[in-house]
Amino acid sequence: MAAILKLFGILKKYIQGADQIMVPANITVRQAITTLHIPPEIVALVVVNGNQQSKEYIIQNDDEIKLLAIMGGGR
Amino acid sequence: MNGYGGSVLRVNLSTGQIQKQPTPQDVARDFLGGRGFGIYFLTKEVPPKADPFGQENKMIISSGPFSGLMIPGAGKCDWTTKSPLTGGYASASLGGHFTAELKYAGLDSIILEGISPKPVYLFIDDNQVELRDASHLWGKGSITVEKELKEQYGEEYQIATIGPAGENGVLFAHINHDYGRQAGRGGVGAVLGTKKVKAIVLHGTKSIPVADLPAYRQAGINLFKACKDAEILKEWQSYGTTMVVSWCDEVGALPTRNFTAGSFEDGKNLYGPVMRKTIVVSDKGCFACPSPCGKYSHTRRYNTYVEGPEYETIGMLGSDLGLGNIEDVAQANLLCDDLGIDTISTGGVIAWAMECFERGIFTKKDTDGLELKFGNAQAVFALIEKIARKDGFGALLAEGVKRASQKTGQGSEKFAIHVKGMEQSAYATHNATAMLLAYMTCDVGAHHNRAWAITYDIQVGREKVTTEKVARVIWLQNFRPMFDVLGACRLQWVELSIDRDLYLPALQAITGIPRSWKDLETVGERIWNLTRLYWIREIDGFGREWDLPAPRFYEDAPKTGATAGQITRFEDVQKLLDYYYEQRGWSKNGIPTPETIARLNLEQFVY
Repeated sequence: MAAILKLFGILKKYIQGADQIMVPANITVRQAITTLHIPPEIVALVVVNGNQQSKEYIIQNDDEIKLLAIMGGGR
Repeated sequence: MNGYGGSVLRVNLSTGQIQKQPTPQDVARDFLGGRGFGIYFLTKEVPPKADPFGQENKMIISSGPFSGLMIPGAGKCDWTTKSPLTGGYASASLGGHFTAELKYAGLDSIILEGISPKPVYLFIDDNQVELRDASHLWGKGSITVEKELKEQYGEEYQIATIGPAGENGVLFAHINHDYGRQAGRGGVGAVLGTKKVKAIVLHGTKSIPVADLPAYRQAGINLFKACKDAEILKEWQSYGTTMVVSWCDEVGALPTRNFTAGSFEDGKNLYGPVMRKTIVVSDKGCFACPSPCGKYSHTRRYNTYVEGPEYETIGMLGSDLGLGNIEDVAQANLLCDDLGIDTISTGGVIAWAMECFERGIFTKKDTDGLELKFGNAQAVFALIEKIARKDGFGALLAEGVKRASQKTGQGSEKFAIHVKGMEQSAYATHNATAMLLAYMTCDVGAHHNRAWAITYDIQVGREKVTTEKVARVIWLQNFRPMFDVLGACRLQWVELSIDRDLYLPALQAITGIPRSWKDLETVGERIWNLTRLYWIREIDGFGREWDLPAPRFYEDAPKTGATAGQITRFEDVQKLLDYYYEQRGWSKNGIPTPETIARLNLEQFVY
C-alpha cells in the first residue's frame, strides 16, 4: 500500500535532489510532509491525481501526489 | 525606433487639438516604456501641486517595448496620473489586448490633457484619431458600454471604459477592459471621468519594427517553450491566482473581517478547487499568454457571468467582509466591474464600515438602513451600488478609507487599513515583516504587486527583521516593476518560475540594444526613486510618517487563526524603515540623498 510523492522546486532538497519518493497510504499528506522534515507552510499546493487537495487528504494506494512549493519569483 | 510604435499621441480634451510627436529616444533609453514613460511624463508635464481633477492633471497611457510582440503575456499597459485617492503617484497596470492594439496603431503613449466640455470617447484606428460624442454612453455600466462599442465597431477593436463611478468621481474608480480586466488602483477611472472621457476605442494594423527578426523569433520561442515546460503550468492554468487562497488561509495571510485575522473559518468555501468546480466556465487569458490565469465564471444563484474572482477580490470582497460563499463574491466582483470601482479598495472601505457598525460607531441611521454586519452579502451589494453612485452613506465611503475614517473619527482611523491613503490589498501582515515593509514602501500606497514578499517571509522566517530581508524587498521593488516598464506580464516569471535571463535576448533582438539585468535593475531603481521624488514634490511634509502601516499590524494581534497572538512590534516597524532607507540611499526621513539622485541621473527632476 503505497503512493508516489513528486516534489518540485525548492522542495527537492528535502529528498536530496530527487524528483519523487514512495510514501505509505492511509496517512495524511501533512503527515507525509512532516516525516520528510518539510515545513508544511512552504508547501503551497497539493495535487492528487490532477486535483488540488488539502494537506489533510488521506493518501490512497497508487495515488500520484504532487507537492509544489510557494513561488513568488526568483527562488 | 526598433521595438516601439514610434509616436506619442497627445490629445487636448479642452481644445480638441490632437497631435503626434516622435517618441523621445533618450526617454526610451533611460525609462524604456510603460510605467517608466508614465512617471517621466507625469513629473515633466504636470505642474507641482496640480489638482488631480483639474485641467492640469494628465492621463498617460503607455505600452512597452515587449507590448504586442511574441513575448509571453505581452499585453500589459500602464496608466499613470496624479492620484485623486492618495494625492501622490498613481500607476495602474491593465492586462487584456489593449496595449497590443496601441502599438499596432503606431503609438507608445497616449497623453490625455485638459477637460472635455462634454462626454466623449477617443477613437483611434491607425492614423484616424477623433474625439466622438459619448452622451449616449454616459451613465451606463462598463460592460454594457464595451458590448455596445464592440457591436458598433467590431470584435477586433479594443475598448477601455469607465463606469458610473468614474463619472461620479469615486476616488477609487477604475478602468475596465476586455469584460473584466482593469487598470484598478489609485482612482485612474475617476481622473478619466472628470476629463469626461467615457472610453477609448482602439484599433491598429501596423507592424512593429524589430532589429533582428530571426533572433527575436528564436528568443520568443525559447520563452514560450520554457512556459510550456514549467512544472506548475497545469495547476496554474486550472486555478490561476485562486491557487493561493488555501495557502494564505493556512499561513494566516488571508484578510479576514477588516484584517482582524489572517484565517477565515469559511475560507474553505473560497478555495480555488471549490471555485473551479462550482462557478468557473472557462479560462481567459490576455494577449500572447501561454498560461491564462483569468477564470470566466457563472453564478447559478444570480445567473450572472463575470471574469473572476481572482485572489485579491476573493480576499477583499470575500473573507475580509466575512462572506464565505464564492457565488456572493463573484456577484460583488461583477457589480464592481460594471459600476467601475476597484474591488480591493471597495472591499477595504466596506470592511472598515462593517467594523464601525459592529462597534456601534455607525447605526442603521447612518447606513441608510443597511444592516452592515460582516457576512451580509445583500448589504454589500447595496453598498457597492451606493458607493458608485455616491448615494447617501455611499458618498462617505466613495472618498476611500483614509478620508472616511478622518471624517468619522471616534478612533476609527486606527482600523482604517491603508498606507498613504490607498487601501491595503489582500495579504494580512500581522506577522510577515517583508510583506509589511513592501506595503509600507510601495510607491502607489498599500499594493502588493511591486514586491510580493509574503512567500519570502515564510521561507526565511516571518518574524525576522534583518538587512537581508530588507534587501530582498528592495530587489523585488526594483526588478518586478520592470515587467510594467517592458509591457509584459510578470506572472510567467513569478508563478511559472521561468528563467529571467530568457528575456534579455528577446529585448536585445527587438530593440537592437544589449542590456543586462544589472542595467535594467538600475532603470528600475531610477524609476523607483523618481516616484519617491514625485511624492515629496506633491505633498508638503512627506516623509517617514507616510511609510507607517495601519496600527492594526503592530497593535492588534489576531485572536483566531494561524497568526493568533502574533504581531509585529512597533520598534521593528521602525527598524525596517531604518534598514530600508539606508539601503536605498535615503535620509532617515525617507528622502533620497543628493548622492543617490546624482547616481541615478535624476538631478533634472529635483525642484
